Amino acid sequence: MENLASASSTNLDNSSPDFAILDVRNISVSFGGVRPVQDVSFKISENSFTSVIGPNGAGKTSLFNLISGMNKVSAGEIIFRQQAIQAIHPHKIAQKGLIRTFQGAKIIKRLTVAENLMMAVQGNPGDNLSGFLRIRARRDFEAQARAEAMRRLDQVGLTKFADEYAGILSGGQRKLLDLSRALMAKPSLLLLDEPFAGVNPTLVEKLIMVLGELRKEKSMTFLLIEHDLETVMNISDRVIVMADGKIIADGLPGAIYENEVVIDAYLGSRRKEIK
Amino acid sequence: MDAFVQPGFWVFVLALAGIYGIFALGLQIQYGVGGIMNFGHVGMMAVSGYTIAVLVIKYQWSFWWAAFVGVVLAALLGALLGLTTLRLSGDYFAIASIAFAEITRYWILNTDSVTGGTQGTLAIPNPLGFGGYTNQPDLILTWISDRLYPIVGDEASRDMSMIFIVWPFLFLFIWIASKLQQTSWARVLRATREDDDVPRSLGKNVFRFRLQTLVIGSVFGGIAGVFWALQFALLAPEDFLRIVTFYGWMILILAGATRVKGLIIASIFFGFLYGSTRFLEFWPLSLLSSPERAYLRVFLIGFVIILLMLKRPQGLFGKRQEMVLE
Repeated sequence: MENLASASSTNLDNSSPDFAILDVRNISVSFGGVRPVQDVSFKISENSFTSVIGPNGAGKTSLFNLISGMNKVSAGEIIFRQQAIQAIHPHKIAQKGLIRTFQGAKIIKRLTVAENLMMAVQGNPGDNLSGFLRIRARRDFEAQARAEAMRRLDQVGLTKFADEYAGILSGGQRKLLDLSRALMAKPSLLLLDEPFAGVNPTLVEKLIMVLGELRKEKSMTFLLIEHDLETVMNISDRVIVMADGKIIADGLPGAIYENEVVIDAYLGSRRKEIK
Repeated sequence: MDAFVQPGFWVFVLALAGIYGIFALGLQIQYGVGGIMNFGHVGMMAVSGYTIAVLVIKYQWSFWWAAFVGVVLAALLGALLGLTTLRLSGDYFAIASIAFAEITRYWILNTDSVTGGTQGTLAIPNPLGFGGYTNQPDLILTWISDRLYPIVGDEASRDMSMIFIVWPFLFLFIWIASKLQQTSWARVLRATREDDDVPRSLGKNVFRFRLQTLVIGSVFGGIAGVFWALQFALLAPEDFLRIVTFYGWMILILAGATRVKGLIIASIFFGFLYGSTRFLEFWPLSLLSSPERAYLRVFLIGFVIILLMLKRPQGLFGKRQEMVLE
C-alpha cells in the first residue's frame, strides 16, 4: 500500500505547522450531562493527511460534527483558513471548502447515483431561482457536472449505476458514493468519517491512491476517522488518538504505535493487525 | 343520474378542476419536490380571494391590480409562514400551517368592517352601493361566451368561459413547474426531502431552498384564489375551511406527489367527485336530501385518500420503486 506521507513535503511538526488550514482551540460540547468532546485542541497543516483514531464513543464523530458546524461548540474556537467558523451555519462552512462525509454513508436514496454527485458541485447557476432563465448557462454547467460525475463514478466502479436510484446500492457502494460526492465539491479540507468501512480491500487501495493524487495535484488536506489500523498507519502522516472525549496522544504514526497510553486505551492486542 | 349526461355538469367539473389543479400544483411543488407538508394551503387562497373583493368593492381598485396584489400578499403570507415556522420538522410544521390558515380564516370571519364577516363579501361596506367585484373580468367572460354561442348554442355559459381562461393557465403553470423541476434547484430540494444534513454539508442553504418553495407554492395557492373568486363571484369564510386544503392533497396523492403532469387527470377526477355527489340519487343515497348528498364528497375524498395510501401510495402516475427504497 502506498504511504501517502511520502506524497507531501509539508512540515509534520504539528505544534507549529507552516500554515494551519484548521486550528481547533479548546473546544468542548455538552448535551445535557454528556460531554462527548472536552477541551480538544489541535492544528492541521495544509496538504497533510491526519487520522483520528480511538475506541467507539471516544468523540471522533462528535468532533467532526463540531468542525463541520452540524453541532455547535459549547466552548472554544475553530479557525478554518484563518476565519472563526464555530458560530456559522454548516452550509457556509462547506462553501468555504470544508466538506465532510458521514459515518453511516448518507446518500439521497430517491435521487439517481449521478444526481447525488451532481448535487455536490459548487457554483451551479441552476441552484438559484434567478438562474432559471439562464437556460444555456444551466445546460452547459449541468453537462460539465455530469461529465465530472461520470469520471468519479468510473473511479469507484459505479458507472453502471449512474442512472439508477441510489437507494438500490449496497452498504459498501453507498460509502463509495458518499466519498465521491464529497470529492465532487472540490474541498480544500475533507473530513472523512470511516469512508472505507464495508468497502472491499482492492477498492480501498484504489481509493487511497485517488486521495493521494488529489493531495498531490490539488493540494487537498484530509482528516480521517478510521478503525482499520493498517490503513491508518500507511495513509497518515500524523495520528490523533481520542478517548473519552479527549485527545490522549498526537504524533507521527510510528510514535503513536509505540505509545504506552494509546496501547492501553485503544491499540492493545490490535497492534498485531498491522503488518 | 341524468345530470351526468348534461354538458353543463361536465363544464362545471372542468372549471372547478382547473382551479383545483392550480391549487394542487402549489402543494405539488411544496411537498412533491420539497417535502414540505403544508396543511394550511387554503389560507393563501383565502388571502388572495378576499384581497380582490375588498380592494375592488371597498376601494374601487381595478380587478387586475387587486388580483396582482392578492397573489403578492399570498406569497408574503407564505414567506411569513416559512420564516416563523419552517425550522420545525415535518409534522410540527404541518400543524403550524393548519393554525396559520385557521388564523387567516378567523381574521376574515371576525373583521366584519373589512371582509363582511360571516355574511361574506356581499356585506363588505362600499361607498358605491354595489357588492360585486367581477365586473371587469365579466366583460371578458361574456366576450368568450358570445364567441362560443354560435358553436355550442345555449350551452355557452360563464362556467364554460371560465374553462377557456383557467385551463390555459393550468397548462402554462404545469409546463413552468415541470421545467423548474428539471433544474439543479429542484434536485437540491428533492435531497432536502430525505435528509437535510447532506445538502447542508455540501454548501446548500436548506432553509433558503425551502422558503423559496413555500413562497412559490403560495403564489400558486394565491392564483387559485383569484380564479376561485372569479368563478364564484361571492366569497364567504366557509369557502376556506381546512377541508379545502385536503381536497388539494387528494389530487396530489392521486396524481403521485412527484409527478406534476398527473395533476391534470387527478384534478378532473376530483372535480367529478366534488360535483357529482349531490346527483347520486340511487338507493340508499336517495334517502338523503340533495345538500346531504353533497357532503358525501367529504366522506368519499377521505375514502379515496385512505384507499390510495393502502393500495397505491405512489398515486396513479408515480413510481412505486421510489416508495420502497430504503
